[in-house]
Amino acid sequence: MKPDNTGISATENPKPILVAENIQKTYGNRKAVKDLTFTLLAGRVLGFLGPNGAGKTTSIRILTTIMEPDSGHFMVDNTSSNHPELIRRKIGVLPENLGFPRQMTAFEYLRYFGQLYSLSPKEAGTNAFRLLNEVGLENRAKSLIGSFSHGMRQRLGIARALVNNPVVVFLDEPTLGLDPRGQQELLQLIQRIAREHQTGVILCSHMLSEIEGICDDVIILSSGQVVAQGPVQNVVGNIQRNVARVRVPAANVEASLELLRSLQNVFKVSLSPQMQGWISVEFADFDETISQNEKARNSLLKALIQAEIPVLSYEAEGGRLQDVFLQLTEEVIK
Amino acid sequence: MNLTSVNEKDAQGMMADRAVPKGHARPAWWLVFTREMADLWIGGKALNMILIYSVLLGVMVYVYSYNSELSLIPPKEMVYEMLKNAMAVSLFIGLVIGADMLSGERERNTLESVLLTPVKRGQIVFGKFLAGISPWPAALIIAIPYLIVISQGDEVLGPAILWGAITGSVLVPAYTGLGMLVSFWSSSNKVSYFVSLGIYILFLVPAQLPGRAQTGAAGQFLQWVNPLAAVNHFLSKHLVNYRTLAEFWTWLISPVVFVVLILGILFFIAGPGLRLEAGRSSKFLKRLWSRSSASIFLAFILLAGASPAMGFQTGNAQAEDLTISIDLDTAVVKSGDKVEFNTVVTNNGSSQSLPLIVAMNIINLNAQGDVVDPEDWSPQRTQYSQPLSPGASVSHAWIINTILDGDYMVYMTLIPAPGSQDTTSHPVASPGIHLTVTPFTRINPGGVLPYAIGGPVIVLIGILVLYRMRRKQIDNG
Repeated sequence: MKPDNTGISATENPKPILVAENIQKTYGNRKAVKDLTFTLLAGRVLGFLGPNGAGKTTSIRILTTIMEPDSGHFMVDNTSSNHPELIRRKIGVLPENLGFPRQMTAFEYLRYFGQLYSLSPKEAGTNAFRLLNEVGLENRAKSLIGSFSHGMRQRLGIARALVNNPVVVFLDEPTLGLDPRGQQELLQLIQRIAREHQTGVILCSHMLSEIEGICDDVIILSSGQVVAQGPVQNVVGNIQRNVARVRVPAANVEASLELLRSLQNVFKVSLSPQMQGWISVEFADFDETISQNEKARNSLLKALIQAEIPVLSYEAEGGRLQDVFLQLTEEVIK
Repeated sequence: MNLTSVNEKDAQGMMADRAVPKGHARPAWWLVFTREMADLWIGGKALNMILIYSVLLGVMVYVYSYNSELSLIPPKEMVYEMLKNAMAVSLFIGLVIGADMLSGERERNTLESVLLTPVKRGQIVFGKFLAGISPWPAALIIAIPYLIVISQGDEVLGPAILWGAITGSVLVPAYTGLGMLVSFWSSSNKVSYFVSLGIYILFLVPAQLPGRAQTGAAGQFLQWVNPLAAVNHFLSKHLVNYRTLAEFWTWLISPVVFVVLILGILFFIAGPGLRLEAGRSSKFLKRLWSRSSASIFLAFILLAGASPAMGFQTGNAQAEDLTISIDLDTAVVKSGDKVEFNTVVTNNGSSQSLPLIVAMNIINLNAQGDVVDPEDWSPQRTQYSQPLSPGASVSHAWIINTILDGDYMVYMTLIPAPGSQDTTSHPVASPGIHLTVTPFTRINPGGVLPYAIGGPVIVLIGILVLYRMRRKQIDNG
């Protein structure tokens, strides 16, 4: 894995398909987006993270030509943002809260949009059936969209985003409001689209676990500015802290607290405030080298096992995207 | 990567590699138009509005026919009133549909997906506009049978349909376009509907002004500038008062200027800048002002220069001593019957009389009864005659259309016109006619009931047929 000059890495030398440089947008006195610069590679999924009002949707709207930036520039598949109509031919978008005409069938809906991309009625019809098949709605092609569940509508929205065989697909909160199974299926679909079509996917989401699960790269925005970007592993690795969390049965909590406090290099042991039943252990001498960290953590687990206290769960704080997100966005807000 | 070194040829080439349609694509405006048509007409608001419209026309035609039975309104006036109302409702439908076109799509989150396609904004607006005016032909077709029934064979029917179609085809696009412009600048549908309704009422205001305010120079000018009032005035004069097009064509200037202005702004200024948020950037307002201020100014000058309201005049009168007689003492009739009689005015003096005015008065003898407005009861409220030589007489024929049952006294007043502002004259009263009107009602006045009910029923059947066709289409894929 080799990071490029913007910090986002590539595998098997995929080509850059979206290049954004110094994009800025201001609403009145508030800077919604500050110097957004990144590169998206073909076949990769890029997660766009940020708290509410961080500038995610504004960034997406600029990159999808719905909104003009105050300054900056971007290119999609070598087409300059000076040609928004050409850009729109190359991108597919599933906006947040996409509305659907209730009186149209799924097939009519996709055929209509296919024709708006200059396909003949016949071509658009064939394309519509192919896409319905791809998103698993082939059996509901003739059903009115008004009768669709939220999950089915999201699938249809993704099919609509793919109607022009785009090089870049923007998905804004695609799993919002879906049940866990629906979320999982949709995420698998997104990953498949990226891999099979070599399409670049930009996935905007609040669900950090899903970003972590399927994204290759991540950009974290806070108050309009990029606070971290790069491959998910790199971003997560950069923020690791000297804290570990362990979960033990309720009956063993008191004994565990006493035992862990007696260990060497342990600075502080407490019940985790955010996660009930978890014990948070902060090490006194945090070492920059990963092997030293692991040794310290292993001694923690070893002590518990030797004391015959069952370890239900264990994780290193900072080892998850959520920790990175919380830390970085908190720093910017401060 | 240096973004400023974009190779446009490469960009075009790569795009061509991506999605290459091989078949014959349809124009985007046509796709948007057909899509909007389906939305409006298949279980959509256009169909519902047209159904309400047909019910309204049915009620109107029934009421007018009932009045016709009572000889309250001659066919010409009924046709004009019917046409005026049909057009007012059609304009309302156009305005409401236009008001929903863009802000409604914004609110339903369906606009963004269309804006994300490579279709030019102007084509989206044009397709939507064409669909927005589609209820007008349907409204006109529905109105024609009602106009035929209510015209009762009068020659006014042909010109009424012709001029109704022409003026409606000017005003409906203008109102629909206006609704779309309001919708373009409205962040919510509620605002769009509210503003559109306000504008609609504003255009109706001149017709609600007191009589003198309407007939004075300023009032006439206001009516002339207002495209709706101007069209109504033109239709009234042309259809009811036998006035020619050559005399009243100037009243069609403001509707034409209005439609050109509205559609110009919609298609050339607002349309190309259609976006997800309401309105356009502040740069746009400057552009709009620079482009439209000159045309608005020019339109105003044109309107002001051509206004026929600039030359209204007044007259004067004088006094004399005369007698007036009536050839009828009493009459017992049913409501709706006509009562005809004659008056004779004689100059018994030794010198020529002043110009003479004979006015009809009808008094309800029942203290609890309604006050009678003779204008409603007779087409000849007043009649005028030239000065009479000594010993000469003049006869006038009168008709009373009895409207309400009751006990009335009809008498005439003879007024010599005063010669100047500082003189007056002595009116002379005629003997009275004791008029007794007995009640008479009909359920099916003029045989119009089948039409009044049939129109909405046919529209309803049309809706059901469309619904079934759509269901079949869905079932058959």
